[in-house]
Amino acid sequence: MEWKISSLKDLEHYFWRCTACGTCRSAYDFGPPPITRPICPAGTEFGFEGYYSSKGKAAFARGISDGSLTFDDPEFLEAIYKCTVCGGCQNQCQVDYKPHIPEVIEAMRREAVKNGAGPMPAQKNLVQSMKNYNNPYQGPRRVRLDWTRPFKKAKTPIKDINVEPAEVLFYVGCTGAFNKIAQAVPQATARIFQKLGIDFGILGESEVCCGSTAMRVGDAEEFKRVATTNLEAFRTLHSEKGVKTIVTSCAGCFRAIKKDYILSSEYNQMMDGIEVLHTVQYLHRLLKDGKLKFEKQLPWKVTYHDPCHTGRHLNKFRVDKDGSELWEGAYVGVDESECLYDLPREIIKAIPGVSFVEMDRIRGNSYCCGGGGGVMTGFTDWAGKNAGLRIQEGMETGAEKMVSICPFCYFNLTEGSKRIGSAMTLHDLTELIDLALPD
Amino acid sequence: MTEIPKESKVDPRITKKLREIVGEKNATAAKHIRYAYSYDMSFVKPKLPDYVVMAETVEQIQELMRFANLEKIPVIPYTAGTNIGGLCIPERGGILLDLKKMNKIIKIDAESHYAVIEPGVSHGQLAEALYAHKLRFGWPVGPPSASVSSCAINHGIGGLNARYGLNSQEITSMEVVLPTGELVRVGSCAIVEDAWHSTLPLPKLDGLFKGWLGGTGIVTKLGISVHPIPPFLKVFTVSCDNVEDMYSYMLNLSNYEICDDLTAVSWWLAQVPIPYPYREKPDGQPEWFSFANTNSFTQKEKEAREEIWEMVVDEEKNKGTSLKVTQYPEEALRARTQLPSQIVGSTKNYCKMAGAGISWPGTFTPANKWAPVYTEWKKVLIGHNLSPSVRMSMYRGVHYGMLRAMIPFNKQSVDETENARRAIVECLKIDLDHGGIPYKPPVDFGNEINKRAHPGYLMLLRRVKQMLDPNDIMNPGKLAI
Repeated sequence: MEWKISSLKDLEHYFWRCTACGTCRSAYDFGPPPITRPICPAGTEFGFEGYYSSKGKAAFARGISDGSLTFDDPEFLEAIYKCTVCGGCQNQCQVDYKPHIPEVIEAMRREAVKNGAGPMPAQKNLVQSMKNYNNPYQGPRRVRLDWTRPFKKAKTPIKDINVEPAEVLFYVGCTGAFNKIAQAVPQATARIFQKLGIDFGILGESEVCCGSTAMRVGDAEEFKRVATTNLEAFRTLHSEKGVKTIVTSCAGCFRAIKKDYILSSEYNQMMDGIEVLHTVQYLHRLLKDGKLKFEKQLPWKVTYHDPCHTGRHLNKFRVDKDGSELWEGAYVGVDESECLYDLPREIIKAIPGVSFVEMDRIRGNSYCCGGGGGVMTGFTDWAGKNAGLRIQEGMETGAEKMVSICPFCYFNLTEGSKRIGSAMTLHDLTELIDLALPD
Repeated sequence: MTEIPKESKVDPRITKKLREIVGEKNATAAKHIRYAYSYDMSFVKPKLPDYVVMAETVEQIQELMRFANLEKIPVIPYTAGTNIGGLCIPERGGILLDLKKMNKIIKIDAESHYAVIEPGVSHGQLAEALYAHKLRFGWPVGPPSASVSSCAINHGIGGLNARYGLNSQEITSMEVVLPTGELVRVGSCAIVEDAWHSTLPLPKLDGLFKGWLGGTGIVTKLGISVHPIPPFLKVFTVSCDNVEDMYSYMLNLSNYEICDDLTAVSWWLAQVPIPYPYREKPDGQPEWFSFANTNSFTQKEKEAREEIWEMVVDEEKNKGTSLKVTQYPEEALRARTQLPSQIVGSTKNYCKMAGAGISWPGTFTPANKWAPVYTEWKKVLIGHNLSPSVRMSMYRGVHYGMLRAMIPFNKQSVDETENARRAIVECLKIDLDHGGIPYKPPVDFGNEINKRAHPGYLMLLRRVKQMLDPNDIMNPGKLAI
């Protein structure tokens, strides 16, 4: 299987399109009323221009390409990894660099890994764990099923799709499976599916990490290994077990399968006949079809945090590849239709009793929880601190609870809430749905 | 590819002292950090600072300046780095003082119509805060992240030029740390601590810190006039086939002083983005477009302004000019009226096509010289395969104003950057010889200004600089004296 993953050299033209104007530093909307808010977690924390948004990353990329900056400087190496790759800066940029910003950041990391310098020590453990256990949490494979214990206990076991066929594969993801706090996410998802009588199964111990983490920290080889394994498994499940839909509640897995796996030369062939959906998309369809009916009141005042991976990371950029429209490589426009902005909000609003309030930074301008891009592993303290800022923003709305659709955000924001001593609790949208459905 | 910035010599003793002053996390000599401050959008060659420092308090700045003065280390003030004249690129290394953390809006006096801000306050930030009081300022066509203070103290222009004057004319008071570390105040706040409403009737000492390109001190607090937002906006848009006709229209309309912004742009500047390299204007397209923003408090006032404008249009048509009432390109118009703007601020409409580089001959030029200068600029720029993307704006109550050409270029290419630099400097010389003066000038321009300057002016400039900055540590080299 061939993979088309860009090198920094491949992207040189694009990081030279950055004008260093600094528009990327803050989320701005003319309005009226005008709104300006910080959008870059790294810039907010570290302040110096190099850390700030896509402008700073273009500087680093230029420095690497002209030989001024080298990975043998540990401070520089660290700076490359002190970025959540959230894409908040990308949402502001208006020039040809825009479509390629996260790619440039990850290409620098790939360069660092290729040079034997990257990733960060803690992230190296994570990748090694993937090699050893097919998950980044250093968890033996059998532990992957720990989250299903309540189902076994309740004698409502979840189908093992390796054994029994099912139309829907619930791809759990490593965070939901191994992270004790985030286990609430797959548990709620599975309960909903069972309540709705959906024919679904899981891969169980044989589930392999999606590879998102490896890709985000620059280990393209490990990403390719697990992604190839998964694509082959999906093909087999389709042909032998009747899987037509892959549903995941993990924003990272969803982003990886939708945006990273398409870099495979065989993606279309392997995924032919298989639809990949985030749980929210899947359940929203059921809501619209009248098959998802809420009965219980949920008297919660909530706000919603847009995860980067289900939001702006799903932007589809129009680039003039051959110069026929504007000029070669021109950024022409962006299509946000695949970003999951409206669906979760519509579901939240449909739940009886829920009072919904928005934060200032939402949708494409959502402020990252601080956990992405390997930061939660590489710089745990900063990740938690940044999450505290987001929780603070949530509290300012008067909401008591923050809802999201990403187990990574779920965990990190929970840590952030504890860190600032907030009473605000985190909830995956599936938990709300589960509570509002009849037993 | 740009040239690699010249390496600097870092002294760990200096780094240690800087960390003692501003804290461990706010001072560094790390190369990757310095590298990101070594260049900007302009043609000015990259140069590395030796240290980068982020100050958070006035006291830290004072201590820093005392130390730098003692050690005779250059200090380069920096807020957002969005100027296009290389003004924050260190000519002689030294300490780059990043002021973005000093970003408090200290006061908005909605009754007296002034605000007091720190240097790191951005246009976007202030726009939001002022809007809550239904107030506004002259937002420039820069990024929303650009600094209000830096724009104002460097004679930056804004969207209210024709109504209230340049942004530097809006300054009401200042607090400044001198290069020697003393804290001074000018304007009403110098007499009554919390009075920031006016630089008059005291001696206009604010002039010691305006237009000096950060060469005389660090402005730590700035009072600025702010203005109510009239609810009725009307944009008068016309086109002309030649610059002379457009000048005639602008001169006529400016007599009535009904516009907040009275601007005309050449066809090339009306495009989003500016064509790069030069391409011919399509046949039948007018060469000049004008937008004139007027804001009124009542419908009747708006109608009265429209009546005046219609009269001017009739007069110009009766002169037999090529003036037509026309539509201004939609995205370009949005970029000009919805300020601060990401469209224009991100340089989308400037250098998106060229790639990364933009500089200008940006000048204050007598209006009756606009047409001859433009005609000569056009020849020079087209000769360099660059678009004559020129703007003319009339200032408040006078017949002079901004004449500038926004010149994008491909910064990745040394040759294309140098081509743009040569063309821009050539244009600048033409304008200087017609009586124009460049604002926010890169050193190349400073040299040309000073070649033409009265000896007494240069002597005075040197003397004032020497008085305030005896060791020439404040952004040295930028004034080209």
